[in-house]
Parts: sequence; C-alpha cells; structure tokens
Amino acid sequence: MSRPQAPGKSLPAAETKVFGVLAEYDSTHALLAASEKIRDAGYKKWDTHTPFPVHGIDEAMGIRRTILPLIVLICGLTGCASGLLLQWWTSSVDYPVIISGKPMFSIPAYIPVTFELTILFSAFGAVFGMLGLNRLPLFYHGVFNSRGFSKRMTTDRFFISIEAIDPKFDASKICEMLRGNGAIEVEVVEEPAQAFLPPTLRRWGISALVVLGVLALIPPALIARSRSRTSENTRLQLMWDMDQQPKFKAQSVNPLFADGRAMRPQVPGTVARGEAFADDHLNKGLVHGQFAKTNALPVTETLARRGQHLFGIYCSQCHGLDGYGHGPVAVRAERLQEGSWVAPLSMHDQVVKDREDGHIFNTITNGIRTMPAYGDQITIRDRWAIVAYIRALERSQDARIEDVPADRRGELP
Amino acid sequence: MPHETPKELLRLNEAAPRLFRNACLLGIAGLVVSLLIAVSVDGGVKRAYHSYLMNFCYFLSLSLGGLVFVMIQHLSRAGWSVVVRRISEAVAANVLFLVVLFVPILFGMHHLFPWTREELVASDPLLQWKQPYLNVPFFIIRCLIYFGVWCGLSYFLLRWSQEQDDSRSPALTLRMERWSAPGILLFAITVTFASFDLLMSRDPHWFSTIYGVYYFGGSFLGFVSLLPVIFFALRLNGYIRRSVTAEHFHDLGKLMLGFTVFWAYIAFSQFLLIWYADLPEETGWYARRLEGQWGWLSFLLLAGHFIIPFIGLLFRYPKRRLRYLAPWGLFILVMHWLDLYWLSMPEFYWGVEGADTGVIPFHLLDLTTLLGIGGFFLAGTIQWLRDCSLIPEGDPRLKESLSFENA
Repeated sequence: MSRPQAPGKSLPAAETKVFGVLAEYDSTHALLAASEKIRDAGYKKWDTHTPFPVHGIDEAMGIRRTILPLIVLICGLTGCASGLLLQWWTSSVDYPVIISGKPMFSIPAYIPVTFELTILFSAFGAVFGMLGLNRLPLFYHGVFNSRGFSKRMTTDRFFISIEAIDPKFDASKICEMLRGNGAIEVEVVEEPAQAFLPPTLRRWGISALVVLGVLALIPPALIARSRSRTSENTRLQLMWDMDQQPKFKAQSVNPLFADGRAMRPQVPGTVARGEAFADDHLNKGLVHGQFAKTNALPVTETLARRGQHLFGIYCSQCHGLDGYGHGPVAVRAERLQEGSWVAPLSMHDQVVKDREDGHIFNTITNGIRTMPAYGDQITIRDRWAIVAYIRALERSQDARIEDVPADRRGELP
Repeated sequence: MPHETPKELLRLNEAAPRLFRNACLLGIAGLVVSLLIAVSVDGGVKRAYHSYLMNFCYFLSLSLGGLVFVMIQHLSRAGWSVVVRRISEAVAANVLFLVVLFVPILFGMHHLFPWTREELVASDPLLQWKQPYLNVPFFIIRCLIYFGVWCGLSYFLLRWSQEQDDSRSPALTLRMERWSAPGILLFAITVTFASFDLLMSRDPHWFSTIYGVYYFGGSFLGFVSLLPVIFFALRLNGYIRRSVTAEHFHDLGKLMLGFTVFWAYIAFSQFLLIWYADLPEETGWYARRLEGQWGWLSFLLLAGHFIIPFIGLLFRYPKRRLRYLAPWGLFILVMHWLDLYWLSMPEFYWGVEGADTGVIPFHLLDLTTLLGIGGFFLAGTIQWLRDCSLIPEGDPRLKESLSFENA
C-alpha cells in the first residue's frame, strides 16, 4: 500500500525523470500536522493540494503573509492619482470649458471619477495580483503525472508534494518521513524528462515570437507617424461606407430605368416637395403681384353650390345670407353700440363689386378690420368656391332678364 | 481552537446593581445640572432643549445601529457574530428607556422646531404648505409609530435570545430570523422618517431625500465603534476575555472601516448634488455649515470622520488588537457626536433675527446633557444584561462563532 508506485503513464525509463514525492492524506488534521513537520524540516520547494481552502494551512506551511494588500493599495493610489490627473489635464489644461459656473479645477466634481478609478485599479490589482502571485494560470504541474492525484485531488483527498529541485531532496528519506506521518499513500512521481516541445523548436519558437512581436509594432508606429504629418496624397480610406456609399447621385446614369436617368421626372398628378405653394394665383390670389381678376378654379355650378354651403357656415353670421351685412352678429353688435365694431360691407356695395376675385380671396384668407382670417379654417379650394358664390350673389341682386336662359324666362312670376 | 464555551466570567452578577446605581447617578447628576443651568442662564431653556435633542439623537442612533446590526446578523444567518450579539441586543433595547427620555422633547417643540411656532408659520407660505405633514398632532402620532416599531423589535429580539439561553431551542433562532425580515424593512422606513422629523425639520425649508441614509450610516458606524469600547471596558474588569477573540474584533474593525467609507460616500453624495445644482432652496443648509466657525467643523469632520479613521483602520494590525481598536472606536464615537452637532446645531439660529450664525453656539449644556442621557443609556444597557449571560449561550451557532477564524 505504501510502496512507491510507478508513475501513471508508463514511459520508458530513459525518458522520465523524478518530479518529486507525493503524499496522500484523508483529513485536514493529518495534512496540517504533516505540513508542520515538513516546514520544520526546512524544505523549500513543496506545496499542499486541497480540494477546498483549509484554515491554518498558511501557518502550517510557514507561508509569509501575502503582499497582495500592498499591491492593492499601490494600485488604488495609482487609480486615485490617475483620475485626478486625467480630469485636471482634460478639463483645465487641454480643453478648458466652464461647466455650470464651476472652477476649471474643481475637486468636488472630480471626486466621482477619481473614486471609480481608485476602485477599478484596486480591483485590477487584487485580481491580477492574486493571479500573478499564485503564478496562474498554470497549464502544467508535475503532480499531474500521478494518477491517484488526478482522480481524487478535487474530491476528498489532500496531498503534499515535495519537488526534486529542493536542495534537501532525497526521495527515500522523504518517503520514510511522510509514511510515518499519517500519509495513507506515498509515491515518487516521475515526469517526462523532456519538456513538451523539443529544445530546438522551443528556441526557434521564442525567436519567432520575438520577431513577430517586433513586426507587430510596425503598423502602430506607421499610423502614429502619419497622424502627426501632413500629406499631399489623398487620404487612405479604411472605412468606405460613409464616403463611397452605394447610391445614385444627381446627373448620373441609372441602368434600372429605361431612360437611364438617375434623376426621375415628376410623376403626373404629384407635386414636388417644396413646390406646393408655387402657384400664386391659386394660393394667394395674385397674378404678377396684382390681385387676380379671375377665379383660380374653373367656375361651375358645383363650385358655386359648394361656395353657397360654406358661405352659410362661415360668412352669413355677419354678412347675412343675402350678403347685405345684416347677419345676427352684426345686428346684435349694432344694437349693443360697441364702439370698436366696424359693420361689414354689403356684398352688393359697388366697392365690393369692383374688387377683383383675388382681392376677395385675400380678404377671406387674411381677414380685414374686425373680420378674422379664415385661411386656417377654410381650404384653398373652398375659399375660391366662396368667391365664386359671392360673384353669383352679386349678380343675383341686379340681374337682367337677359341673364335668364331664354327657354326658362316663362317660369318667372 | 476552542469548541466549548471557555470557562470565564460571562455574567455581571453582583457587579450589576452597583454599576447600574452609578450609571443612574451619573444620568441624574447630568440632567439635574443641565436643568439648573437652563433655568439660571438667560435663554438657557431654549439652549438646553437644543443640546438635549442633539444628544438624544446621538444615543438613539447608537441604539438603532445596534438594532439593525442584530437584525442583519439574523437575516444573514451569521455565525461569526454570535458572541457579540447579546451586547448588541442590550444596546438596541435601550430604545425602551429612550422613549421616556423623549417625553421632555415634546414639551420643548416650539424651541426646537420652527414649524410649531404659529407666528413663523403665519408669515411663511412654505410652512403653511407643509402644514399637513409638519403639525404637532401628526408629529406625535409618527413618533409613537417609530418608537413602537423600534421598541417592539428590540425588546422581542432580546427576550427571545435570552429565552434561548435556557431552552437552547433552535426554533427561537428561526423565529428571530423571520421577524428580522419585515423588521429591517420597517426599520428603514421609520429611521428615514424619524431623521426627517427629529433633525431635518429643524430647518423646515430644506429637504434632502438621502438624509435618512446619512443618519443611518452614522448610526451603524457609531454602533460598531461602540462595541469594541464596551468589550474593552468588560475585559478590563475581567469579563469575556476568551470568547471574543481577535478574529471577531478583526471583523468589527472591517465594519468600522467599511461604514467610515459608507458615511463619507453618503455625505458626499448629498453634498455633490446640492453643490453642483446650486439651487437657492438647497444650498442654504450647506451655506450655513460652511460659514465662519462651522466651516472649520465641516473640515474637521472630513478629516476626522473619514480620512483619519480610514487610514488608521485600513491596516490589519489595529483591527486585530482590542487595545488599538477600542481607541479608534472611541475616536469615531467622538466624531459621530460632532457629526450630530454639525447636523443639528446650525439650526439653533433658524428664524432668529440678526444672529451671528457663523459662530458655533457651544455651551456647557451640550456636555451636561450628554452625560445625563449617556448615564441613563449606560444604566439601561446594564439593566438589560443584569440577569443574563453576556453572550447568547443557547444559540445554535455559538460553536461556530467561538471557533471563527478570518481566512
């Protein structure tokens, strides 16, 4: 049971060498006791392997207190200084901007970032410092060559390994000492004499890595050089997307269309963007800057009837249904003797009769005196419809017999 | 590694009545002297009330810190802290005595809270607007709720723990855990609003939502700093010399360090936003505290309440040695007292015309009321520990606590 075992992998004797001695324990007490013995015997190159942290193992192994807290402290102070320097440089030296009327160098405003960087650097110091001090990640260890170790190390057994490179190493003496020490198993672990890679390959590999490392510095160096110089050449375009977009520009050829033009003509019945208000006659009632003499729309009975309908809704309150200016609002205002009231003109007044269609359209749109503007309530076409109706209304009050179609004159009373 | 309760002095026994009497005498002496000064000095009554409220809030904070400490231990099912829990429970249960000491404050409200003074409210639309909350009947109702919650929680947590000394029933541990969950929620709400009512409303124009957290941070820090001082005093007289070890003090030291930082974090969070926004309705409170002598006190707090203890407690050495940790605890307790002074006293001049607000209105009464309430606080702690062990002997995690080691 306690005789030295052959290494797990059966390698020819010539190709292996002794890694060290491995002892197996089944309790932490035995492990701690054995550790104290080995510590007191003065070994240096040895270690314990446990599936979980064991209290008191540091002391039993004679491990000095870690310097990790010191590393974290230094990292924290570095972070603190970096945070302050960063903000001092950016906010008050390199690009000074007054923010919220605070001084350029304003400690309270800098504290949050300084605090965060202190914490960040401390955390990095703790994590990477721990990994470094433990020499992690570790991809290979001599004890991996023991099958017993590999099987139970992470479950329920505790191990001590003493490496052959220890100056006091003597396999048989150590085996004897450990056996009398509560170990349930002691074995001499052998490992392949040669490292995983042959020495020539290793040397070349290292050289190749060094060369690659140096070569890798060239692109950043070139970039840094070009960034600090001016050049007559067009610039190097690394990202083409924004500069060279896959789109058709004005006056270019587009094979997708039969006529080959990238710019498309206006589709019939549509108005180009921004041209909706180009027709002054229709929109403003103007022709060459003067009030248009005619209606902008073809005058039909339908249009006039539409105008009559709207006149009843919007205009008759003041102007009256007959257009003489006796609508209920006007009548009431007259009765109240309001000083600011301007009575509406009669539609049949010669002044109104002489006005151009465009002028009446403009009055409806923008209002006049006490009459409010109706431009935002009545659509353009409806305003022209009202104009058409007003013209009809005017004619109705001094119509001649000739205005009535000859075949219907008999219907008149 | 000790696995049995070490044979040592774990009961105050015959020392208790003597200690209790002396502490009561100290309390009576402090309050009587305060009363004498108050009635003999011009304006002394108002001054005495201000000192009294401040010192009341100081000792209240220590008790509340103890209460939340106990509840946290239950909620986290902590093993390490069992040996320090009984003292914490006793300190927390002092709230029951503080209720009695709270009564005088109700008679001096017009000295302490400007919103109770009708002539001020009549000329101040803001105070009228706040009347639905800041009025005397509702204030008293709220205080009844606060003290009811605190007394109930602290009394039962102490009593069940004492019951367990004899019965050794793990069911009591579960019961305490179960009550701590809603308890800590109620604690958070009541402490927040109590700090608004007792301290923040002394400047009824000003408001800060983080104020309750600030008071809580100071309270917890004050309490974990009080524990090493108590253990130092007990050890000096031969009590609990072995059960509470360097490992426990190490953890208490870590909490002291952590909450030193927490206090500074919260204090700065409150300051930064107000300083940065620079709004008139908020800056007045800080302007008062940065003016004249108050400015020096503010910087003293920055140094003494944060920087110095932070550096001092950063190292492992003092945290593991009670003879260093207890002085640090005392130091922080002094700073916590100054913090409450800073929090409360600048409002002494609130609504007073032509006062020199840059002067710290220090008065002998600040110290006599400190001794008065402090004496009764000490007496209360001794009273709760009179007939029981100084550590919860029946706790199922006692063994874990006794053999606790920091990794």
